[in-house]
Amino acid sequence: MAVASGIHAAYLPSKFQPPPKTTTSKTTHNKTFRPRRPPPPSLFISTNPTHVNPHHLRDLYTLSNHSCHRFPALAADGRPDPVDLDKLRIALSHSCIVVSVFSKPEVVSYYSSSSSENAMGFGGDWLRRVVPVTAENGMLVGFGRAVSDGGLTAAIYDVVVIPSLRGMGIGKMIVKRIISVLTSRGIYDIAALCSHEERSFFEACGFGEDSLGATTMMYTRTVSSCEANHMVKHVGRKLLVAPLVREPFKP
Amino acid sequence: MHIYGAVSPSPPRVILSLFCCPCQISNQLQFPCKLDTDFRRGIRKLKGSHVTAAFWESIKSGLLKNPTQVIEAPSTVEEEEEPLPEEFVLIEKTHPDGSIEQIIFSSVGDVDVNDLEALCDKVGWPRRPLSKIAAALKNSYMVAALHSVRKSPGEEMMNILVYLESSLAEENDQKKLIGMARATSDHAFNATIWDVLVDPDYQGQGLGKALVEKLIRALLQRDIGNITLFADSQVVEFYRNLGFEPDPEGIKGMFWYPKY
Repeated sequence: MAVASGIHAAYLPSKFQPPPKTTTSKTTHNKTFRPRRPPPPSLFISTNPTHVNPHHLRDLYTLSNHSCHRFPALAADGRPDPVDLDKLRIALSHSCIVVSVFSKPEVVSYYSSSSSENAMGFGGDWLRRVVPVTAENGMLVGFGRAVSDGGLTAAIYDVVVIPSLRGMGIGKMIVKRIISVLTSRGIYDIAALCSHEERSFFEACGFGEDSLGATTMMYTRTVSSCEANHMVKHVGRKLLVAPLVREPFKP
Repeated sequence: MHIYGAVSPSPPRVILSLFCCPCQISNQLQFPCKLDTDFRRGIRKLKGSHVTAAFWESIKSGLLKNPTQVIEAPSTVEEEEEPLPEEFVLIEKTHPDGSIEQIIFSSVGDVDVNDLEALCDKVGWPRRPLSKIAAALKNSYMVAALHSVRKSPGEEMMNILVYLESSLAEENDQKKLIGMARATSDHAFNATIWDVLVDPDYQGQGLGKALVEKLIRALLQRDIGNITLFADSQVVEFYRNLGFEPDPEGIKGMFWYPKY
């Protein structure tokens, strides 16, 4: 009967309490252990949206097996479909913050390669080594974005780092940058949806379960039988059915 | 964006040329004065710049005798459209004292922050800075609101313009905000529903359900499929009945806690 739902903007300062301790027994045996490595020698981090090339971003997602759909349709090899470029552009244009991290292509291939030949350096090209990496000459290796209402709340989506450069703190750097931009705009209610595997990452970035005990819920209503007058949408691998239009109103 | 309508065949021939923003009517408009000001006020009230022919058709059919073709000039190619603002009467009931109460649904975004603050107080939510609330409402993907309009007995029936012109309604009737829900989105993949509230005096009638369903329809219409919300324990069942699932496939929401 009660229809008022909880809000997350339980306004300062009562919001800032330490998060409830998550039971460690549940998480430890599922955690993917990744050895911590120092960050690569040259990284360029940018919040300029014009530095993001949607094609390169799509490639980054594909390389990382990342989908923008929470329940992606997976191909036979277990990889999600590549993201639709038009939708990606729209999503980027409506994200209040985009953070992109670039590295030198030779650095990426060094870390991607399993051979030890590259261990001694990147060849004799001294000039290339000293020129700092920029968005133009670098390769997109990490990304994150946030969507906000500009006043009260924000949600972080699509934090991705190329597999060969994980465990170096790049993802954490991206999330920290997003948070610092949001807090500089006065937004402190920052949410992030995450799967089980991503939970430890966000915990390391300072996220926790909701102090007010709210339950995360997602719309998953689907069709059990075919009904002609329902609006049905394919979203990833889910088939979502929209509520019927009720006019005149019948409570 | 121009909308052209041609009304024929009865003289005088009128070519309607309306500019959406700013609120100017071209000199070709030859309607009597009242219509002129009503249209201007109508245009000023509209938040979005995308008004379809069907919308103006509904105004015209209420005002003109022989509406015929409405030619919409091609708008500039845009990547996407904002959700069409809607406003309609959801429920109408007659009270024992003869007064008529209408509950009007609207997604045009005309929520006054002071009214909202009063409503939040009524449901027992903590106060938030008004400027932040105003910014949040302005930048939300969609704000669905319910207003109750009470007309004392003996008043003439409202016409279509009054349904759309909440300012006119304010002059004659008591109009109060009784419910709201809003959603933020990146317009492509993800959306989160925040701040669903209904005046306790009006709860239990399915109004909250109507608000949320409207948001879901508008989002799914645009293929925005990741619809999330964070529900207090006492309303988890409410949202479950609306098609929401808690922690689907282990997906949870986490919140940032600064470490001082």
